[in-house]
Amino acid sequence: MTKNFELILALAFLALLAVLALVGLPGNILNLFIFMMIVALTAQGWNMLGGYGGLSSFGHAAFFGTGAYTTTILQTTFGINAWIGLVCGVALGALVGALIGFLSFRAGLKGSYFALITLAFAEVLRILANSWDFTGGASGMMVSLKNSFWDLQFADRRYFFLILVVFVVLGLFLTRWLERSAFGAYLIALRENDQAAQALGVDIFRIKMQAITLSAAITSLAGCLYVQNFLFIDANVAYGSWISIEALFAAIVGGAGTIAGPLIGSVLLLGLGEITKSFSGGIPGIDLVVFGIILVLCVAFAPNGVRGYVADLYRRRMNRPPSSPKIV
Amino acid sequence: MKTLMNSVSRRTLLQTGGALAATLAAPGLVRAQAPTVKIGLLQPMTGAFANDGDLAKIGAEYAIKEINDAGGIKALGGAKLELLVGDSRSNAEAGAQATEQLQADGAAIVVGGFASGIAMTGTQAAARYELPFIIDCAVSDALMTRNLKNVFRFNPSFSMAADVALKNLVLINDASGKAAKTVAIVHEDGLLGSGLAKLMQARLPELGFEVVETISHPTPARDMNNVVLRLRSLQPDLIIPSHYFNEFVLFARTLQQQRVKPKGIYALFGGAASSYKFVSEFPEAAEGVMDVNHWGDPKNPTNDKLMAAVKDAGKFYAYNTPINYSVIQVAAQALEFAKSADRGAINEALSKNEFDSGIMPYGKSKFDATGQNVNALPLNTQVQGGQIKVIYPDQFAQAKPKFPANG
Repeated sequence: MTKNFELILALAFLALLAVLALVGLPGNILNLFIFMMIVALTAQGWNMLGGYGGLSSFGHAAFFGTGAYTTTILQTTFGINAWIGLVCGVALGALVGALIGFLSFRAGLKGSYFALITLAFAEVLRILANSWDFTGGASGMMVSLKNSFWDLQFADRRYFFLILVVFVVLGLFLTRWLERSAFGAYLIALRENDQAAQALGVDIFRIKMQAITLSAAITSLAGCLYVQNFLFIDANVAYGSWISIEALFAAIVGGAGTIAGPLIGSVLLLGLGEITKSFSGGIPGIDLVVFGIILVLCVAFAPNGVRGYVADLYRRRMNRPPSSPKIV
Repeated sequence: MKTLMNSVSRRTLLQTGGALAATLAAPGLVRAQAPTVKIGLLQPMTGAFANDGDLAKIGAEYAIKEINDAGGIKALGGAKLELLVGDSRSNAEAGAQATEQLQADGAAIVVGGFASGIAMTGTQAAARYELPFIIDCAVSDALMTRNLKNVFRFNPSFSMAADVALKNLVLINDASGKAAKTVAIVHEDGLLGSGLAKLMQARLPELGFEVVETISHPTPARDMNNVVLRLRSLQPDLIIPSHYFNEFVLFARTLQQQRVKPKGIYALFGGAASSYKFVSEFPEAAEGVMDVNHWGDPKNPTNDKLMAAVKDAGKFYAYNTPINYSVIQVAAQALEFAKSADRGAINEALSKNEFDSGIMPYGKSKFDATGQNVNALPLNTQVQGGQIKVIYPDQFAQAKPKFPANG
């Protein structure tokens, strides 16, 4: 399976979703699709750093929440347009990424230490957002309901879904660009062996800084879009560990360090959740049990993610050697 | 030909014809039955608040059964009510998804929400479809400031409850000869606790109390020893706590272990102070604790039946059951007034009429322009002799307040 073929398949799948949405879907399915795209975008952000760079973050909530709070505060407190809020949210999210990256990479943190420091940053931000007045404290903040294109809210949510699809498509192209660029090659080199990469002349600090900034920008974009859909945010939603977990789960289950992995992961995880829920009858929580079992099976039998498993099957059919396991 | 005639005997022909006639008549029979109206219940059935969801479901199911047994919705030809349960999974965005699901499954009206964050996104999702939504017990004032025409709140808001709590506190303290002069506030750092602390800090000095300390802690909290040691050195007359169930239990038990005995513990929406689980499991720690919370009218005989139903389900009684029983009763009355399951008609019926409040002590429920029930009222309770007794207001009181509790 070539990279371009993977990209085309992912694009075709998104086109199919878009057509389905345009033809007409029940509100609950559309809502699910919207949430899938938000998680896919978050996971695409995580994938840049964790998948290609091998720097697994447990604290992408720090970027998601910063994007979400920035656009909310700009809209509600300062009356600034939602689109400008979105751009500022992405910029500030990227800045927070750069700051966390600067502090961590300068200290040479990697592996579990990097994961823990990102988790700690997200927690610090959660506690701050929970106590500051300008973030609404524990009451959280609401974006007023104003259905118009300029407010990035739509009475017909199909349009919002299409905007999300466009962003996910851009994320796919960005990932493809990353794979083909020198920057991507350096990033993969430092994932495989950072000391060797450094010995070959790669400025690993600069590459890591660029990767975390890019990753944070994409994830904060997802945060901004989350607010525009749910119109409510509090510290636990914005900076809670749930979104960090969704981001890395989706990317890892789908296939970390691949173009379509985050999209596959988010569609599978959230879709699976809904499907098991509809078959679980009246017993609350049984869907979560089934979901957990499927997840364990998935991780046990497809350590390179679903994307890696499918690619290996394809290779085996074509009598080609299997891909080497990814280090995540 | 003869073989064919033999094989299709007269009996077979009659049987087949009978079956065919029955099949053709079936739609008519179905039409003759009363239609059903679906009521959605948005509650956390899994996650951190799952116990609250279970208790709420018991109340809602009891009300639905009672209404159906009494002949259903009369204005709709005796239509039966059917309960659809939407699991909000104790988080805000799953609340929105569950509401979408209830809408897709054909709910005519949704009740519940439970926590403010979940009610916030759930009502927002319902607003897209003008789906009537009656909030059961989420208290955030911000919920009713959004001008959503489909959203109504049955329970008192946070500020309404705080007014009642402060008024009754002054009454209780005056009756004791002003036994409490100093107050310490202990709160969780979330929406509920922080809001309460801010309000109490502003209002208590005006009422003649001195706030000696305000201590916040995160949720979940694993250890309350430091908080209690601080209180031990401050020796406040009164402690005003505000946290969820687990933290309240931990706090009360630590007070007991450290032998800190203030003259009273006075909670507003105390997570455990109005729960029989706490009272049954830690009777000594619970004794004397006062609370201002959602609570059913103890003199209403249905209250005892609900308590029995909760006990039969192997659970401990708390306010979720009576309030959800009552909110379903309000929804049923709205259907009677609307004379249709049409959403616009139900929303209009809810905004224009007065409703019996089930077993909640609200008298006639009336929703104002923002959708808030203006007659909603929390009750003051106190744990006395292992029972949760209502102590204020007088018309619902089962016992006199015991204050100072440790005096």
